[in-house]
Amino acid sequence: MEQLINDLKLQIKEALNLEELSMEEFDENAPLFGEDGIGLDSIDVLEIIVLLEKNYGIRLANPKEGRAIFQSVKTIAEYVQANRKK
Amino acid sequence: MAEQDWAGTTYGNDWMHKWLIRMLRIIDMRILYLFVAVFIIPVCLVLNPSRGIAYRYFRHRIGYGRLKSAWKTYVNHCLFGQVVVDKFAMYAGKKFKVEIENYHEFLDRADRKEGFVQLSAHIGNYEIAGYTLVCENKRLNALVFAGEKASVMRNRGKMFADTNISMIAISPDMSHLFEIDQALKDGEIVSMPADRINGSPKFIEHNFLGAKAKFPLGPFSVATLRSLDVLAVNVMKTSLRSYKIFVTPLPYNKEASRQEQIRQLSSAYVAELEKRVRQFPTQWYNYFEFWNKND
Repeated sequence: MEQLINDLKLQIKEALNLEELSMEEFDENAPLFGEDGIGLDSIDVLEIIVLLEKNYGIRLANPKEGRAIFQSVKTIAEYVQANRKK
Repeated sequence: MAEQDWAGTTYGNDWMHKWLIRMLRIIDMRILYLFVAVFIIPVCLVLNPSRGIAYRYFRHRIGYGRLKSAWKTYVNHCLFGQVVVDKFAMYAGKKFKVEIENYHEFLDRADRKEGFVQLSAHIGNYEIAGYTLVCENKRLNALVFAGEKASVMRNRGKMFADTNISMIAISPDMSHLFEIDQALKDGEIVSMPADRINGSPKFIEHNFLGAKAKFPLGPFSVATLRSLDVLAVNVMKTSLRSYKIFVTPLPYNKEASRQEQIRQLSSAYVAELEKRVRQFPTQWYNYFEFWNKND
């Protein structure tokens, strides 16, 4: 799980060009949306959806279910571990 | 005036739109053009801040002198009036002569299994393309402003009823992004403007007509997500009853990093937009402060 969280952090950082955010600062429990967290928006979520599709074979058919999955890197990792095809 | 303060919808209420369509079925459009140019535009120029915005565009971005900029501001507003009249004339069943440059670029991509993206801008009259660049085997999904007047949406719906076209409304919860992505995954065409920041505040800056301007990141991000082909489609009015559609492939390196793909694609889009705006400077209809201050 630890390795998967680190991989996801790296992939998200690269895909979203979050250069100013160091791996140490990137808290896997921090909310991805809103000013209190990483501050992502829906365009970023689309990027992550495609990233999960390419890297883990996960297809999110219903974007509404994303609300629970995209709470934090940790919730994404838990979903990936349970549903990955790659 | 900030972009967010500007409604960006078609002027007039539902009743006025219905009345306009009925009238256009009977009278010659040129009478309406003349009426708009003589009675409507002068009033608009006095009351509307678009006067100053258009004047500064001609003066500083196109580089005209003071007198020419003032005249072109009037011409620009008259042309905008004509484009609105033309849109309703289409709803009333009037036909326009339409020429297409690089039609094969559209047909070639329409024949393939993969979807592709058409990026437009608020220049000329893009709606004409919606009725012309269509193909039977690929649905075209047009991104439209959700706050558009009911009569405009209803008339578009009627026009599109027998075609392979559907509309995706820009939604405050950004769910339209997912609809766009799904359509592209399904091998369809998605058409969207890429010159106005709507919804997500994210932007990419480019030098455009000699000064820095912000362009929305969303269209370029979505277009490159699945490494699909992208076409710029701009539809310009060339005479009273004719339009020309310019179809231009926008190249980007599909093997490059995501950020680099977005940079390359947006640069190609801006270069094409600048080319068309320089060719048809009076058909620029972004009536808000488009360029960054201090530039």
